[in-house]
Amino acid sequence: MISNNAVISLSEMIVAYDALPVLDGLTLGVPAGSITALLGGNGAGKSTTLATLLGFVQARSGTVSVCGIDPAIDPDAARRKIAYLPENVALYDHLTAQENAEYLLALSDQKPDADAISRAFASAGLQEGAWRHRLGAFSKGMRQKVAIAVALLREVPVLLLDEPTSGLDPAATADFNALLSQVRDRGTAVLMVTHDLLSAADVADRIVFLESGQVTDDVAADGPDRFDVRALHARFQSARGPVAA
Amino acid sequence: MSAVRLIARDELRLMARNRVAVIAFVLLVLLTLVAVASAWSHQRNIAELRERNAHAAESAFDRQPDRHPHRVVHAGHFIFRPLGPLAAFDPGVDAFTGNSMFLEGHRQNTANFGDVRQSSLLVRFGLLTPAFVLQVVAPLLLIFLGYGVLARERERGTLRVLLLQGAGRGEVVGGKLLAVGTVAMLAGLPAMIGFALIAGQPGALVLPMLTIAGGYLLYLALWVLLIVLVSALVRRSLDALLALLALWVVTVVLLPRLAPDVAGAAVPLDNRLQTDVAIARDLRAMGDSHDPDDPYFDEFKQSVLERYDVGTVEELPVNYQGLLAMEGEQMTSKLFDQYADKSYNAQERQNWMVEWLGVLSPAISVRSVSMAAAGTDFAGHRRFLDQAEAYRYELVQQLNRLQAEAVSYADDIAEDPGADDRRRVAAANWAKMPDFGFRPATSAELARAAVPGLLMLVGWLVLAGLALASATRRLGWAK
Amino acid sequence: MGEMNLLKHELRLLFRQRLTSLSLMLLALLTVTSILAGIAEVDRQRADIAAIPAAQNEDISAIASWIDEDKDPGSAAYYSFHPTWDEPSPLAFAAIGMRDVSPYILRVRALSLEAQIYDGDTFNPELALPGQFDFAFVLVFLAPLFVIVLFHDLVSGEREARRARTLEALPRGGRALWRRRSALRFGLLWLVLAAPFTTTAIIENVGAAPIALILVTIAAYLFFWVGLAALIDRLRWSSVANAATLSAAWLVLVLIVPTLANVAINRAIPVNQGTEIAMANQEVVHGAWEIPREDTMERFYANHPRWSDSEPLGPDFHYKWYFAFHQNGDEAVAPQARAYRQGLEGRDAHARALGWVLPSVGVQALLTRIAGTDLTAQLAYQDRIRAFHERLRNFYYEYLFYDRPFGKDDFDRAPRFGSS
Repeated sequence: MISNNAVISLSEMIVAYDALPVLDGLTLGVPAGSITALLGGNGAGKSTTLATLLGFVQARSGTVSVCGIDPAIDPDAARRKIAYLPENVALYDHLTAQENAEYLLALSDQKPDADAISRAFASAGLQEGAWRHRLGAFSKGMRQKVAIAVALLREVPVLLLDEPTSGLDPAATADFNALLSQVRDRGTAVLMVTHDLLSAADVADRIVFLESGQVTDDVAADGPDRFDVRALHARFQSARGPVAA
Repeated sequence: MSAVRLIARDELRLMARNRVAVIAFVLLVLLTLVAVASAWSHQRNIAELRERNAHAAESAFDRQPDRHPHRVVHAGHFIFRPLGPLAAFDPGVDAFTGNSMFLEGHRQNTANFGDVRQSSLLVRFGLLTPAFVLQVVAPLLLIFLGYGVLARERERGTLRVLLLQGAGRGEVVGGKLLAVGTVAMLAGLPAMIGFALIAGQPGALVLPMLTIAGGYLLYLALWVLLIVLVSALVRRSLDALLALLALWVVTVVLLPRLAPDVAGAAVPLDNRLQTDVAIARDLRAMGDSHDPDDPYFDEFKQSVLERYDVGTVEELPVNYQGLLAMEGEQMTSKLFDQYADKSYNAQERQNWMVEWLGVLSPAISVRSVSMAAAGTDFAGHRRFLDQAEAYRYELVQQLNRLQAEAVSYADDIAEDPGADDRRRVAAANWAKMPDFGFRPATSAELARAAVPGLLMLVGWLVLAGLALASATRRLGWAK
Repeated sequence: MGEMNLLKHELRLLFRQRLTSLSLMLLALLTVTSILAGIAEVDRQRADIAAIPAAQNEDISAIASWIDEDKDPGSAAYYSFHPTWDEPSPLAFAAIGMRDVSPYILRVRALSLEAQIYDGDTFNPELALPGQFDFAFVLVFLAPLFVIVLFHDLVSGEREARRARTLEALPRGGRALWRRRSALRFGLLWLVLAAPFTTTAIIENVGAAPIALILVTIAAYLFFWVGLAALIDRLRWSSVANAATLSAAWLVLVLIVPTLANVAINRAIPVNQGTEIAMANQEVVHGAWEIPREDTMERFYANHPRWSDSEPLGPDFHYKWYFAFHQNGDEAVAPQARAYRQGLEGRDAHARALGWVLPSVGVQALLTRIAGTDLTAQLAYQDRIRAFHERLRNFYYEYLFYDRPFGKDDFDRAPRFGSS
């Protein structure tokens, strides 16, 4: 399963809060220039996977590697390789889009260059008129564009996304997916966690089903139609069990 | 049960579940009890000490042997300012004024041995009294318990739910007022119980006590209104807390310190050296008692001789030295009064300015109500100083009259070895001299002095009430 | 990517927040106002002291003109008041301490000192009651509140705004970011307090060492409150809970514990001797009229053999006897005066000891000590008055005990306070 050129690689990883295992022997690899969607219900361990990659949570056993770095040992070095978009992108409302970008880049150890920011905003689809406005007036989609523009600017090998399309209207979701494809095409390894099957099927190259901390299914995109959504849906439903809505 | 009471009950139940709030409340009650106990015992100790000292001083005065009356004038007399029972609740300026005074002829001394110069630097952090707890600490507790009453509901969206369920805006605000008001009453209760204990003492006056209780009731009610008002106006409970804390710091901590500086700079006081030198200058201008040919004293002598229809002082039926002493005392006293009045009036002007700054800070107003009704404000101290000076003058003049009547002029100016004994007056006279008895202000006087502060508080209360009424009408409109 | 550049960004972020920028401006305003108020007070005291010579010359020359006729040294000593004063230190503007309630000018005569040394000057007790609005007040009482405003939501605020995760996932974010922000806020608070203070202190010619010591004190005191805020922050409560807890801590540490301690200390060390000294002194002094004058002189000479070769007393009144019993009166109550002073020092020492555990008290004690405006300074002034009074007595006794005439020129020879 794990290709040798995987930028993100998890192997037999066990993460537990107190005695309760959240990830139970997770093995997963994300190669460069690909999008992997981690799909699962609440409490499946999706967010914990991201937290482990970012070094917020330490694995009990198994190996974790981001570009060859163990985030548990050197979280700062791992974070230098990762751009991360949390579920609710919250930035500073009293700063403009431009200032937010400059600030976050500074915190990423990167020189904020006005031209590069403009280009990134443009490619993230942010209207030029909005760049110098304070973020307080922005919609969720627009905020996300700012955040993704920052992620683009960072030119890091790994992009982690937590429920990126939740709360976005269909048009905004389509815009976002298009953007994500661009990122992938630049060679970034993208790992997104979501419970939105349709969105995942739209953009991911591979969908991994996670249930109670274990991989229950792993489907790669295939052919021009990529995924058989109907089949996936059935598998997803059965995996989540009858209890889940 | 009405909607108002239901809302109030829910709010109180929520506060009771907040462990921090309960602990804070219990601490406030404990603090009040400690303050009541310590202030009361402090007041009792001081009152007893001063009474003991006063008795000692009186008996020392009365026990004097046969003496020349002028010796008695110089041996002087110590008097003490008694501390009224209400000082146990609010000692006011007592610690900052001297409480004992040495009275002697042709000299006006300062009141000495005030606590502030006898205590460690801690005394400047404030005095732990029931008044301090109610003025400073209680509003802060109310803020902690009440800042969120409306802001929290708005922040969580439950306000809209309440309004949609049919509760009127007035009922919601009324319920919250009732809840915070109940806490305010409970917070004020221990202090008022302590107050009632003090009232059991003899000499405690009913009207001033009611005035004080009323003043604090208005003050706490004002804070209840302000807290609910701010909570109704702001969007987030954090903003409500910060705004109320800022209001508290400015009105309770900052302005009461800033106002005196403003008043002190606006109305300067002469220091003692300047006053003493000025009095000496004025005395010289009136007449020089050391100069035998001074026109003023020459004229005085002529008028005395004319009054008694004699040619020389030796022929006078009374001792001219005594008359001269009386005239001198009259002259200096008039100047003392004049300069003291000037200084006291300047101080009163300063206090009046501070009182007006109560427009900006209800804490200043309630403090002035409390001190004025307790008789522990500057006016109370001035009452002591005025009475002390009147007593001093009366005592010294009686002694001078004794010199004029009981000592012969010939003996008084004689310089032979036996003259000293002939000049002495029987010791029995000293006990006949009046004792100093401080006449405290009457109930009505004390209560009247508190009126400006009370009016100021009422004004605040009306303004806050109007603001809350207008905020109530707009409640729930903002997003 | 330097740390400086990051700080520049943080600075922009900070000043865009209305609450923080307003708070810092308000603190700056309060600091400057308090310093100006302190300067005004100290200037007023200096002006009062500067006005002494003119008033004094007028007073003394009037006395000298009639004394000169009889040249009686006793009358000269009896009627002449001599000024003493306690010049405010250059640093007094920062901490007025006890200078608003204790006299900084006191005139004394060569008579019994115990009846004079406890006198006060004119001040309005209602104005003194709330305490001075000086730099020490801003630092001790108000600065912690600004720490609370700037620090209560340092992390919790980002958490509540859901930015904490984004920030923590950045390489220069996380703990380093909280440290950077703390340092910046701490630095700004320090600067806002320290800059106006240092500028004024330099203008007022305060030495480098006291300035440095106070700058360190400001930093240490702020650091205590920042540390407390950080501790509370570790509990991961909400910003509101943090703000409430910190202000409750402020109330307890700055207002309640000091007032409680004051009650406890005054209870533990009763100081009642003040009036007793005055009364006992008066009794001894005036009792001298009832005992044989020779007894008085004997007792006086026993303590002061230097004057014992003076002529024996004649039948007439002689001022040397009068001054002798005044001095006997002082000496009779010397043990009580010492006990009284020890009582005051004991109270002060206890308060200082408390300062080691209670930063608010410690800072106030330290500032008033460095500024020379505390009880120790007051007692030192009393010591200077005592020494001066001793010189006054010796000066007049030279004339009194050897019956030397005291003329106009002799007034100019009288010792002057502050010169030896």
